[in-house]
Amino acid sequence: MDVSQYLEIFLDETKEHLQSLNTQILELEQDSENMDTINEIFRAAHSLKGMAGTMGYKRMQNLTHDMENVFSEVRNGNIKVQPNMIDILFQCLDALEEYTTSIQESADEGTNDNEPLIKALNDILNGNSGDAAPEAKEEAPAAKEAPKAAEAGNDKWKSIKLSDTEKSLYEAAKAEGKKFYGITVNVQESCILKAARAFLVFKALEEHGEIIVSNPSSQDIEDEKFEFDFSVIVVSEDNLDDILASVKNVSEIADAHGAEMTDADFTVSAAEEVKEEVQETKPAEAEVKEEKKAVPAKTEAPKNEKKAVAKPVVNRTVRVDIEKLDSLMNLVSELIIAKNSLVSATNSAENVQKDGYAEHIEYLESVTTSLHESVMKVRMVPIESVVSKFPRMIRDLQKSLGKKMELYMSGEETELDRTVVDEIGDPLMHLLRNAADHGLESAEVRKERGKPEVGSIFLDAYQDGNNVVIEVRDDGNGIDVEKVKNKAIERGTITPEQAANMSSKEIIDLLFLPSFSTAQKISEVSGRGVGLDVVKSKIEALSGEVEVKTKLGEGSTWSVRLPLTLAIIQALMVTVGNEKYAISLGSIQTIENIPANEIQYVQSKEVITLRGSVIPIIRLSDVVETQSVKSPEDNLMVVIVKKGDKLAGIVVDELIGQQEIVIKSMGKYISKCKFISGATILGDGEVALILDANALI
Amino acid sequence: MDELKIGTNSGSVQYIVIKLGDESYGINISYVENITRMVHITRVPKVANYLKGVINLRGEVVPVMSLRLKMGLDEDEYTKNTRVIILKLEQHGTIGIIVDEVKEVVTLEEGQIEKVSADANTEHSNYVVSVGKCDQGLISLLDLNAVLTEQV
Repeated sequence: MDVSQYLEIFLDETKEHLQSLNTQILELEQDSENMDTINEIFRAAHSLKGMAGTMGYKRMQNLTHDMENVFSEVRNGNIKVQPNMIDILFQCLDALEEYTTSIQESADEGTNDNEPLIKALNDILNGNSGDAAPEAKEEAPAAKEAPKAAEAGNDKWKSIKLSDTEKSLYEAAKAEGKKFYGITVNVQESCILKAARAFLVFKALEEHGEIIVSNPSSQDIEDEKFEFDFSVIVVSEDNLDDILASVKNVSEIADAHGAEMTDADFTVSAAEEVKEEVQETKPAEAEVKEEKKAVPAKTEAPKNEKKAVAKPVVNRTVRVDIEKLDSLMNLVSELIIAKNSLVSATNSAENVQKDGYAEHIEYLESVTTSLHESVMKVRMVPIESVVSKFPRMIRDLQKSLGKKMELYMSGEETELDRTVVDEIGDPLMHLLRNAADHGLESAEVRKERGKPEVGSIFLDAYQDGNNVVIEVRDDGNGIDVEKVKNKAIERGTITPEQAANMSSKEIIDLLFLPSFSTAQKISEVSGRGVGLDVVKSKIEALSGEVEVKTKLGEGSTWSVRLPLTLAIIQALMVTVGNEKYAISLGSIQTIENIPANEIQYVQSKEVITLRGSVIPIIRLSDVVETQSVKSPEDNLMVVIVKKGDKLAGIVVDELIGQQEIVIKSMGKYISKCKFISGATILGDGEVALILDANALI
Repeated sequence: MDELKIGTNSGSVQYIVIKLGDESYGINISYVENITRMVHITRVPKVANYLKGVINLRGEVVPVMSLRLKMGLDEDEYTKNTRVIILKLEQHGTIGIIVDEVKEVVTLEEGQIEKVSADANTEHSNYVVSVGKCDQGLISLLDLNAVLTEQV
């Protein structure tokens, strides 16, 4: 079976399921009794297994299969969650991740059977089935089958599981007053478009209820891989005759008959499937087995999706290629430029008189703005997808570093452009590892210092104007400026004379230089000197920045500031000399008109006092090396910009107004200029440069 | 059209002949995306003097350099003949160069191209790798990679 076309979806979904497993198992560790979590885990493991099976990844399937067994026993209450079990489960997830990576790289799952893990899983199962089985016997017949099947091999589990889930569905349906029907539909032999007819039948059935399983699988039916009949199991509230009548209403359907299913049907079908699978496991039929196994796995998959739809917590999503979004985004950009040209045309005198013209333009403006917003939103994803793997990482670090620590996260729902989110994971991981390794002291030292033994690491994300700030904070030792200084001198990074003149902030910034590590001993986690410089360059590549604040003995805070969007922003257009520049509205605090005589000098730098605070001013004409058209006595037009908690005033000649601008890259050729973050095309076709206020401060 | 077909034959290369002052230079046509008239150039601060700024090329922002300044000649004088040749090179991206005038397109056979001896060491001759001989006289053929590579 050629499944390569599904590979991408498979990988996407597998990653999603693994992530959810990671999170859920962590939760399980905290609260081992939570049935919701256990169910969630079971569902994810089950879907994983089904998907791996469909794709023909046997090793992956085997492993998930055994994991599923364990979860199933936990769910049935036959096994209690124990710490060592959690460890093994995490190892399994790592192994699964390995498979996934290997599949991603080579479309092959590799040859690692992970037998020790499978054995460990089976040990958990067997170790407990001995104790728990006797009591379980009366209350759960499924559990009785479990150990028996486990002895014979892994594969029978699948069929039992299948019937088990079906059965639980069946029982749930019964409780809700719904009924299970088995229906066989015969298609006329003259029928040409069998698949289309079958599709209509499915549609008719879905009007009555839900299709649980079909034979052949829905995929095969779609591909017309069936003779002149197919069977389905439907759960519905309506009575059988109505359902059959609506099926027969579909043209070219010869006949349809069915019956309500009872408990007995399930036991029988389960037993049959077990038998079938037992035969299949014979080694001689290895090839056949794989193909056949794919079928039940596949029928499971749509069923699971159905469940997901019914569950309101799961978001309804569509996967879209990011390239398609980019082209959509480009079109929106063009539209905005076109709109801006219209707006500037309206402003020219001859058009103003025309009735209604301005109104239409305004309408167009509001439409393009909201179109832009919604396209932006499509590209935005919560950072949750990245940060949700961190609790697991901290848990592992805790073991490998032998320190006690706890990660507190907030603002996981903060959204960022998809491209940024994809890149931000590694830098954040570096910062967290850094905090865990360098930041936090060992438990003994913490005790001595009167801190709680368990160290805290905080990951806070929030939106600040047009930026998103992600802070990694720890309550550890903080950065020892003296130590950094000495190290820098020792390494020849700076001379002792230079060091004497450096502010502590400048010294801390040395940490971001390549190959600079102050860790006394090199540990597995950090201390190889790669890290902070990588973090810095990666974040700068995303037009973001990273800052650190620290207090010796109390901890440090690393803040990563990232632009919310990379494409279209609201900006203030200003002129200086005869040139136009754009300043992102997000960084602007206020705009002030200051008399020239209010300028004062501090350390021969120009400052103004505004509402009690002293703000340095920057003359844009100096920065961009042009002549201001204003005379020195004129009032100053000062744009107050903010970066973190620092303010600065940018002196410009005139304000043009607020405008939506499309950020265009200036190409590789001109990238030297630090304070120009890009260019934009104005309504009249002219190019204006965008000032990066953050770089000016 | 016929000419174009001939031009793609191996052994012969088409060059766009441009003028800087009195001298004729040739630019390999395969790197040329477009030739436009002079448009408003937005100055970019704090870049090398030969980088004149950026222009709007149908919705894209494209940097523009002065070939004259890059080659150590006098500042450009924009006339109605001044053109911007938009080049696209893999390692440099899209970039425009300002030239005094675009004359024509010539097809040079291998035999018409002569390597320039390496001893010529005036500054801008580094950019000329070979000379083409044709009916119109001698054409210095530019090594675009050398021209576009920024000197520090």
